[in-house]
Amino acid sequence: MEKITITINGKIISAEKGETILNAAMRNGIEIPNMCYDKSVKVYGACGLCVVEAEGMPKLLRACSATVSDGMVINTDSPRAKEARKIALELIMSDHDGDCKGPCSLHCPAGTDVQGYLKEIALGNDREAVRIIKEKIPLPASIGRVCPHPCERDCRRKHVEEPLSIAYLKAFAADNDLASDAPYMPTRKPDSGKKVSVIGGGPAGLSAAYYLSLSGHSVTVYDAMPEMGGMLRYGIPEYRLPAAILAREVDLISAAGVEMKNNVKIGHDITFDEIRENSDAVLVAIGAWKSSGIGCAGEDLDGVIGGIDFLRRVNCGEKVDIGKNVAVVGGGNTAMDACRTAIRCGAEKVYVIYRRTRAEAPAEDIEITEAIEEGVEFKFLTNPDEIIGENGKVVAVRLQIMELGEPDASGRRSPVPVEGKFETLEIDTLISAIGQKCDPRGFDGLPLGARGTVTADEKNCATALEGVFAAGDATNRGASIAIDAIAEGNLAAKAINAYLIGMPIDFHKPYYSEKKITPEMFAGREKQPRAVMPVKDPQVRRGNFEQVINGFSEEVARNEAKRCLECGCHDYKECKLIRYANIAPVDPHRFDGSEHDSYKEQKLGVIERDQGKCMLCNLCVRVCSEEVGAGLLGLVGRGFATVIKPEFSDSSKTEICKSCGRCVELCPTGALRII
Amino acid sequence: MMRIIIGEGSCGIAAGALKVHNSIEKLITDSDTFSLSSTGCIGMCYLEPIVDIYDGETLVKRLVRVTPDKAEAIVSAVRDADLTKVEDITISRDDEAFLLGQTRIALRHCGLIDPTSIEDYKSTDGYRALKKVLTSMTPEDVIEEIKLSGLAGRGGAGFPTWFKWNAARNSKGEDKYLICNADEGDPGAFMDRALIESDPHSLIEGMLIGAYAIGAKEMIVYVRAEYPLAIKNLEIAIAAAEQDGLLGDNILGSGFSCKMRIKAGAGAFVCGEETALIESLEGKRGMPRLKPPFPAECGYMDSPSNINNVETYANVAWIINNGGGAFAAMGTENSKGTKVFALTGKIKKGGLVEIPMGKTLRDVIFGIGGGIRNGKKFKAVQMGGPSGGCIPEELLDTVIDYKALAATGAIMGSGGMVVMDEDTCMVGMAKFFLDFTALESCGKCVHCRIGTKRMQEILSRIVEGNGKTGDIELLSELSLAVKDGALCGLGQTAPNPVLTTIRYFRHEYEAHINEKRCPAGECAALRRYSIDSEKCVGCTLCARGCPTKAISGTVKKPHSIDETLCIKCDNCRKVCRFGAVSVI
Repeated sequence: MEKITITINGKIISAEKGETILNAAMRNGIEIPNMCYDKSVKVYGACGLCVVEAEGMPKLLRACSATVSDGMVINTDSPRAKEARKIALELIMSDHDGDCKGPCSLHCPAGTDVQGYLKEIALGNDREAVRIIKEKIPLPASIGRVCPHPCERDCRRKHVEEPLSIAYLKAFAADNDLASDAPYMPTRKPDSGKKVSVIGGGPAGLSAAYYLSLSGHSVTVYDAMPEMGGMLRYGIPEYRLPAAILAREVDLISAAGVEMKNNVKIGHDITFDEIRENSDAVLVAIGAWKSSGIGCAGEDLDGVIGGIDFLRRVNCGEKVDIGKNVAVVGGGNTAMDACRTAIRCGAEKVYVIYRRTRAEAPAEDIEITEAIEEGVEFKFLTNPDEIIGENGKVVAVRLQIMELGEPDASGRRSPVPVEGKFETLEIDTLISAIGQKCDPRGFDGLPLGARGTVTADEKNCATALEGVFAAGDATNRGASIAIDAIAEGNLAAKAINAYLIGMPIDFHKPYYSEKKITPEMFAGREKQPRAVMPVKDPQVRRGNFEQVINGFSEEVARNEAKRCLECGCHDYKECKLIRYANIAPVDPHRFDGSEHDSYKEQKLGVIERDQGKCMLCNLCVRVCSEEVGAGLLGLVGRGFATVIKPEFSDSSKTEICKSCGRCVELCPTGALRII
Repeated sequence: MMRIIIGEGSCGIAAGALKVHNSIEKLITDSDTFSLSSTGCIGMCYLEPIVDIYDGETLVKRLVRVTPDKAEAIVSAVRDADLTKVEDITISRDDEAFLLGQTRIALRHCGLIDPTSIEDYKSTDGYRALKKVLTSMTPEDVIEEIKLSGLAGRGGAGFPTWFKWNAARNSKGEDKYLICNADEGDPGAFMDRALIESDPHSLIEGMLIGAYAIGAKEMIVYVRAEYPLAIKNLEIAIAAAEQDGLLGDNILGSGFSCKMRIKAGAGAFVCGEETALIESLEGKRGMPRLKPPFPAECGYMDSPSNINNVETYANVAWIINNGGGAFAAMGTENSKGTKVFALTGKIKKGGLVEIPMGKTLRDVIFGIGGGIRNGKKFKAVQMGGPSGGCIPEELLDTVIDYKALAATGAIMGSGGMVVMDEDTCMVGMAKFFLDFTALESCGKCVHCRIGTKRMQEILSRIVEGNGKTGDIELLSELSLAVKDGALCGLGQTAPNPVLTTIRYFRHEYEAHINEKRCPAGECAALRRYSIDSEKCVGCTLCARGCPTKAISGTVKKPHSIDETLCIKCDNCRKVCRFGAVSVI
């Protein structure tokens, strides 16, 4: 073969006369996007992605078919080529209907591969399930118990009957792993020689520490409290998350190489500056540990305490004297934890004061139900007007009666006072659980935002201080749920790792294709109700701090996991379409219009074809005809309506198919799979 | 001897020529000395059925729009040699001008000879060029002569014919093929059909000369199955030529052998694209191939193949007989010879027109075609069918020349010329063609399959009154992307109607989108009907004809329309004799 010289993207390479531009580029490790090309079949030229610009050529060239000539100067990523590619991808996406990932994974702040671990649980591979979970969550047994599980909110199974019990299945797998002889432990990368200090051993700090350590960095976590876990340890009551379970998971994080230093308070035991000097990078993940004030007369009285302060004291083993009658103000999960803890601390009468109705309460509904079962009395549509004291000590609270008015910015109907209507409750203690704030004392020089939280870049957790990152409840919008803190901890770990190795990374949120849902899609499915978590009897459990849930049995858990509809695409990681769509990046809805009907069919042997994901590259048709020699597939219809079917819509082809799977191998998207 | 000849091309037959033929035939008796025969299409389709009366070789009378009840008058006139008897159906001077303004080379025999008679063809110099080629010219000489003539592909692309022939000649391969593309699919185009129907031997002779030039042993005519008369006449011609030793082995004793066959296509527009045509010939789904390799290297059955359009071949014998120079003497610097156009739409005189290159569009539309019907105003002409573009009034003096037409955004195309008047909505026109191309896309490449569909959807929402700000820009962007990215000519040219209407009639798009108004009043969804109470006399005709009872009113009192019930069927406006119903 005659050798010639060409230039691709400024790189001078040797090519063979007569070969295609795509070939020459591939041999030299230069990627030109393509979806309808494969070396085992003839060039086809349909996808329009491999277009490149060559100097002196008025038109864009299809790299898959245009041949090289001596001295050719090619740009695979010229603005014109990129624009043409982008429009081609946008056109393909406009007729693409499929889920890259299931709604469970998309709604998990940490992006956990829910479908992946549910499948392993269904198959009985709990350790493999834990491996998948621990790619994103280092504390699965704990999170599985306490997470308000946004993953379950849009679980597609709800269109059949009810969402899967995803969180509890996570806890199930993690418990089994913890109980095994050798719980899952990933391999740590070789030492990088870099030192990272993490301040705060809560979910954000521990997650960041875990992943940074696995990346080879030397990580030390400093925490002011005697034990690690942060709010998981001191804000969540024992009956929801036993401290022993959390401790075992924290131990595994230690075992992954993280050094833990408790009882270290910044600004007291060590200064922030000292830590910065001793470290290559610092993560501030100090949480939000100050209760917000109630803002009414009498809030300074003896007997008025903050919700998280109360929970922390109880979790520290302190006997807190709350008297017989307790009122908890607030409708969130902290309020639920506080009221149910108050019951367990021996209060005879516990009220929850909430200014809206149960429907608007941010607490998990099951928490409200269980609180009621345990004897808590809910005073919905009331708001503290004045806390009344005698001799500096709370004796009662006067409540303003409320009603619901117009919807506010959050979409919830806002509570408005009913003029002149009040109610008074005699109480010994008032617990205020209406919010919590960050306490950044000791972190001199760290810029704070309007809410008193640490200002950090939401894309990469960076603060204005060199080498200092921040994550979790202490940052930006303030306190949120544990899984949000873990997600931010993961992000911080990635950002810090990138910072330490000097490799900036792109943090833009990837685009995922999402399927359009219609009720008909779920019509034929057999109904199988969601597994109910067995719990202890309310009369028994209200008297102690033992864990309320009893856990799933093996059989229940496996069957529950099998309910998963596997919405996410099996081919997501290999899919060329979504990868290119993210590189371009595309505006996927610019050309929205009519689409092919989205259906799945099994016309050939064990091969299932998903019409919504087919982009008619025709590779399956061609490989079956040209390489396999069977010629079982063909194009049917014209124009936009063209679809791939057994050749000439001949159903007898089904029996001839030997299921060699070549069509599935070559499919550039997840349109084909072997089932 | 007197001869009666009836135009029995598809246009004539559609207008009733066969009934006229039968009526005349029945009246002829054994004692009559005149003959009755048929011919093809003379090109004045708007005057069909046409009956010509010849005295010997001289045309003495041309009768137009003949109905069967005129048969008696015609027979009597010929029998008595008194042509005044048919004065009432004689062609007018104005209509005679239709032919006078033309230069007929490709159409030279059309409407003059009997297409089913090889003798008729031979009597007009037929097969003389073939004899000349086989006896006195080398293939190289032939190619040189064609090069001299400047003949370019008449199918639309305008690629030099000699170059393709030369490339096919120089390609290595024992089996070479010469193919005729008669898959005429443009709406409003009928040049090729008329040519094959009216003069099939001219095609055979032209193809034989081409086959000799490139060294082909087999010729294939790919013709739409929807052209039964063309197929029938060509079959008759092939059989006659074989009989006469003009097709088959050792043609005219020259040692040159070549056979010919017809392949009827199933009617996919894309099969007019040469590589899709080859796929279809091979029995595969008609989808374009990537070029290169070009068919001249690797075409039908992976052998060197040359493909030209019907009209291109129809010029070849004339060029050999008269010399390439005579052909090149006509036309402009870069467009030589003549071009056939199918003139249709809102034109007064619709039919086939052949004129030398270099004439203006105005010459064709207003000179030969007589301008717009019903006293309406000219708005635009769509050149080149769905692949072409529209040309507005201000560019009517554009000369017919490949480059000059391309500069307007339209194309020469295969010769479709659809004339539009002031009542034509240009957005609706663009949508009509996009409906066509989107449906006819083979589905292979992304740009054409999805791109034309999206363009069609955007156009649909505009004509339905749902256009959005930014739609014109989105359409333009998509059009350019499809033009650049589509695999074959169908997709690459599909955006042309959109791009040219945006270029010349952007205000119509804007009126649809911004004001929800169709300036031409054609888009039903945007039409609003009202009755002028001063003009309405209360005749009740509109109310009685309204299918949704949207019109109410009492006799002799002005009526009114309930817009919520109106389905815009236009019936009221059509039936009103007082011009009281108006469209806003």
